[in-house]
Amino acid sequence: MSPYRAARIGARARLGIDLAGALGLTGTLVAYLSLSAVLPAAAAVGYGEPVWPFLAAGGITGGIGLGLARLGHRTAGPIGFREGYLVVSLTWLLAAVYASLPYLFSDEPQLSHPVDALFEGMSGFTTTGASVVADVEALDRSILLWRQLSQWLGGMGIIVLALAVLPRLRIGGRQMFESELPGPEVDQLAERIRDTARRLWLLYIGLTLVLLGILLVIGWSGLDAELSAFEALAHALTTMPLGGFSTENRSLEVFAPATQWVIALFMALAGLNFALLYRAIVRRDPAALGRDEEARLYATALLLGSILVFVELVHADLFAGEEAVRQAVFQTTSLMTGTGFAITDYVDWPTLSVMAMIGLMFVGASAGSPTGSVKIVRHLLVGRLLRRELRQTIHPELVMPIRLNGRPVDERTLRAVLAFVVMYIGIFIVGAALLAIDARFSEVELGITEAIAASAGTLGNVGPGLGFAGPMGSYAPFSDFSKIVMAILMWIGRLEVLPVLVLLTRGYWRV
Amino acid sequence: MKIVVVGAGQVGSTIVEALHGEHDLTVIDTVRERLEPLAYRYDLRTIEANGASRRAIQQAGTSEADLFIACTSRDEVNLVACSFARVEAPRATIVIRTSNVEYIDLWREGRLDVDFAVSSELETAHAVSRSIGMPTARQTDVFADGQVQIVEFEIPEGADPAVLGVPLREAQLPHDSRVLAIIRGDSMTLPGGRDVIQQDDRIVVIGSPQAAREWGALLAPGEGVVEDVVVFGGGQVGAAIARMLTTQGIGVRLIEPDRDRAREVAEELPACRVYSATGIDADFLARERIGSAQAAVFAIKDDARNHYAATLARAHGVRFTIAIVHDAISTPVYELSGVDVTINPRGVTAEEIVRFAHDPRTQQVAMLEGDRYEVLDITTQPTSEYVGLRFREMPIRGALIGAIVRDGHAVFPRSDEVLQAGDRVIVFTERSRVPDVEKVL
Repeated sequence: MSPYRAARIGARARLGIDLAGALGLTGTLVAYLSLSAVLPAAAAVGYGEPVWPFLAAGGITGGIGLGLARLGHRTAGPIGFREGYLVVSLTWLLAAVYASLPYLFSDEPQLSHPVDALFEGMSGFTTTGASVVADVEALDRSILLWRQLSQWLGGMGIIVLALAVLPRLRIGGRQMFESELPGPEVDQLAERIRDTARRLWLLYIGLTLVLLGILLVIGWSGLDAELSAFEALAHALTTMPLGGFSTENRSLEVFAPATQWVIALFMALAGLNFALLYRAIVRRDPAALGRDEEARLYATALLLGSILVFVELVHADLFAGEEAVRQAVFQTTSLMTGTGFAITDYVDWPTLSVMAMIGLMFVGASAGSPTGSVKIVRHLLVGRLLRRELRQTIHPELVMPIRLNGRPVDERTLRAVLAFVVMYIGIFIVGAALLAIDARFSEVELGITEAIAASAGTLGNVGPGLGFAGPMGSYAPFSDFSKIVMAILMWIGRLEVLPVLVLLTRGYWRV
Repeated sequence: MKIVVVGAGQVGSTIVEALHGEHDLTVIDTVRERLEPLAYRYDLRTIEANGASRRAIQQAGTSEADLFIACTSRDEVNLVACSFARVEAPRATIVIRTSNVEYIDLWREGRLDVDFAVSSELETAHAVSRSIGMPTARQTDVFADGQVQIVEFEIPEGADPAVLGVPLREAQLPHDSRVLAIIRGDSMTLPGGRDVIQQDDRIVVIGSPQAAREWGALLAPGEGVVEDVVVFGGGQVGAAIARMLTTQGIGVRLIEPDRDRAREVAEELPACRVYSATGIDADFLARERIGSAQAAVFAIKDDARNHYAATLARAHGVRFTIAIVHDAISTPVYELSGVDVTINPRGVTAEEIVRFAHDPRTQQVAMLEGDRYEVLDITTQPTSEYVGLRFREMPIRGALIGAIVRDGHAVFPRSDEVLQAGDRVIVFTERSRVPDVEKVL
């Protein structure tokens, strides 16, 4: 139906988007996603734990998905970019709900409240890693595995996965792909989006398996007595997506230095652009990493952050020798990439180091990786924009295209980058303010830094904050309202602000 | 000789003017108004048709032609015309005019089936760089995307004693460069380590653009190096000039009034500072200190504007001005108002083509000393007896390898470097030895 004819028919047709088509596609995606409940269900059978929470969650989600899919049955043709925003946003919201269902159905008292379950579900799929569970070790193993698995599935993107696996999705272009694996420009590895998606997922699976293999060897060889096969799997599943959920109450503190080093290395690796990694590993062109400006800045930022923290830790006499290096490198990598693992409770570190931890939450890793936050390439481009602004103050007529890897960047892209950074900071401030205001009414003890860390940590999909919500603590003490605010922050952060915010504009829905 | 010329614009008419009489000419153009004056003035055949049509090319008797010249202002037409001509006359010599440097490179690599390619923009840029780049240089040429430069210098009085009168192996010469030849009077030597450069010699040097500039500074110490050139007008010619100067390491500021075009040029030339301004705004000229530039090139398309801009810039203190002339009749106007050098791109191009028409040769990429010496650009075959040899082991047979281009990067070989199959070598030799060199490699 042409928009022109639609406009004449009546009020219903005044809608500017193909709502039925968008809901239908969302339904299809969610229905397929619900199949993933089979994995934890199988684990539950194996461990002799209740299976029905997973089956029920899968069944309900599948039912909703199929119901929605029927709505879209009547409309033909691919989904346009305008509908794409709704599809992406809604899919991720439903995915979070889906992830929360097994928590609700299980008898676990720490997750019995719907808001808590939703928070945990959102934190899972968005790879944030913030948790309302104070005593993780008390959870059933199948539930634990589901928590880890939700991060792994969310890491590379649900829709990217669907594109790679499903036959004939009615998705035309790259736009939905880009809102999940974002960056100013996605490097296409193949002619077809589908092949690109497939390669990225294969690489992701491959790296996860390599990490799992190394961790298993460390566990079996006795290098790390704490690292059972289950722990190895659980942490491989949350390291590659830069997630941060752990099966231990004190995150990775209990593990041996070897394990911590390996995980630090893989966090750093997962923070690289996956298209670039593919080139370096699969096409055997490791020099591609050195040629890429973002990868170079990423490495520099990791190094400088680590050195700063190292100097501060040694200066404050907290650690010495290898341990000081490990603490500095691990914590810097974990927070900059938005993973959120911890090998010590850095809440008690000296002021400068804690500030560094908060600052790193705004850095992020490379575009095209499962990281959250602002991302290195945007920092790079904003820096160049500012430099240009300074030069043009003196030479107003000077024409200076901004380049990335030698190629000029489109001015529209630059505007989008600038807008993103401004919106990101704006949302962060609103989030922190809401948390602070709510803390007053709900009588939660929340300092300035804690409010800032909680907002930055959830919006940037990092995970832990400071204070009671620190790396060894939990988000449980927050009020329900605050938890909903933070769940929304995680959602907005994972989809890079724009797809969600655009839904709030009138123009999106109208013709 | 039977010659077919496609295009009767300024380049075409200049060629016709030079070649009529002694040759049988046929000219093809779509516009009658351009053909008529030629037909009235000279004894030749004109065909009013599109040069990119096969029938027009057949009609022009291309199958019997010895020389085919495609010189319209449009690359696409020229390319199509040349490929039809190749079909009609496999043995004819084919000359193409193009504004695209990519095609020139393609031709140099031997992948474009024409015998000679000329670009107005490139010829003009060469002419400009000759007049400002190095005052002591008699002739200069660049290869391999500007990575390799060949310069012929005249050794003046007062050249640096580090070069003069010292055996080459002891002289402190710029890195990444090599003396290919010393020409003394009528004799030429391919120098070894014992040879000495003397005053009034002419030498041919190959090297990176940086090294070429260092040579220029060595030979004429007082002159100083040009660091700041302003180019007015960012059209095809202006951009080509800016590109050539920046590859030689000269700082270039370019002024282009059209915002979008300025952006395009800036994207293409990262090393060049581009301003979006009219160039005739006194406030702008003063603020950007245009007057302090060592030289200015005026490449604005409209002669009147160009002339005005040049005069204004001179009033602001620019010492050395070069004007690109759009219309031949403007030349005396520029000269009258004190512009130092005028260059007519179409004239330069036509000259180049005519020179070639008089003496067509394949494989040649540059000629020095008139046409006694040539610089060849050859890709080595695996069957060559030189492949696998170190440079010092190669017998010298009147030719010298100055540079090799391997994987797109220029290398200036030391004596223990090994020649590999597929290397593009840039060889300097006497004209009479060209066939030997080609055979050996």
